[in-house]
Amino acid sequence: MRALFSRDGFRRGARDGVPLAVSIFAYGVGFGLVAAQAGFGVAKAVATSAAIYSGSAQLAAVNLLQTGEATLWALFAAILVINARYLLFGATLQPWLWSAGPLRAYGSLLLLGDANWLMTMRRIQDGEEDRAYLAGTGAPITLGWLGGTALGAGAVSVLPRPEALGFDLMLACFAAGMVTAMVKARADLLPVGVGALAALGLFQLFGPAPAIIGAGLAGAAVAALMHGRTA
Amino acid sequence: MTDNFAVLLAVMAAAAFLCRVAGFTLMRFVPVSPRVEAALRATPLAVMAGITALAVQAGGLAEALALGSVVALTLVLRSDVAAALLGVVAVAVLRWAGV
Repeated sequence: MRALFSRDGFRRGARDGVPLAVSIFAYGVGFGLVAAQAGFGVAKAVATSAAIYSGSAQLAAVNLLQTGEATLWALFAAILVINARYLLFGATLQPWLWSAGPLRAYGSLLLLGDANWLMTMRRIQDGEEDRAYLAGTGAPITLGWLGGTALGAGAVSVLPRPEALGFDLMLACFAAGMVTAMVKARADLLPVGVGALAALGLFQLFGPAPAIIGAGLAGAAVAALMHGRTA
Repeated sequence: MTDNFAVLLAVMAAAAFLCRVAGFTLMRFVPVSPRVEAALRATPLAVMAGITALAVQAGGLAEALALGSVVALTLVLRSDVAAALLGVVAVAVLRWAGV
């Protein structure tokens, strides 16, 4: 039997995605400005935002293209490395999302981002059964990302810098709030501590992208090791 | 290097798509034992803690105060969304005030 995938769940997700979408809109404007400086028109910038749908990977790609020496392989590899955390995100969603059926599952994954992965994992822990929730969170975020990109690339820079509004801290604020809400037992503090320490250590050695992946893997490993033992 | 934007776009989209679906697809062949389930459940906790820790390290006093207040407000208000939004307001105000 297929899992629930309803308009109600989609709407719930869309509502929860709105605050995230506001800050992602501001970053879309930022990417649009960068793309415009690299000689992208509005159409090209929006097409890039739709095709890659990941701010950090897009900025790296535009930088690489601007050097004029990037090969297609270099471009491919750069995006693969920066977005490697999505391998982890997809794996953690799999048991829940797959029961919605392949078309709905893979369709929802197209809208997967950092912010709505966090939000969806949080709701799954709270017992969210409706698999349309993930696609729902993606809807306002997609609108914000593409709309922001178009505005920025059209050089309509009416917004203050995202930092002035505190938007650069939006993801971290949601992460801090959600991790607090998700700690239900003392044993949950172990992956929290391990994740924080792993991220700080790996950041010094390898930079931000490996730090996040390493934090997730370290937390998963320690939880698997401790499973069945009473803490 | 090709000048054809459609080819560039297709290559970039393929890499981004691969990352989104590969972990998901591989996980279909992993039997979800209680141990694996515990690992999957712990992953977002560790990632969220990692994101928060990196933001505290990269930021100054304003960022640390805002994120600390998000943790406290989540416990008091029982709403992580409200707490997170108040945290964003807090850091904007603190920065504006020159903290």
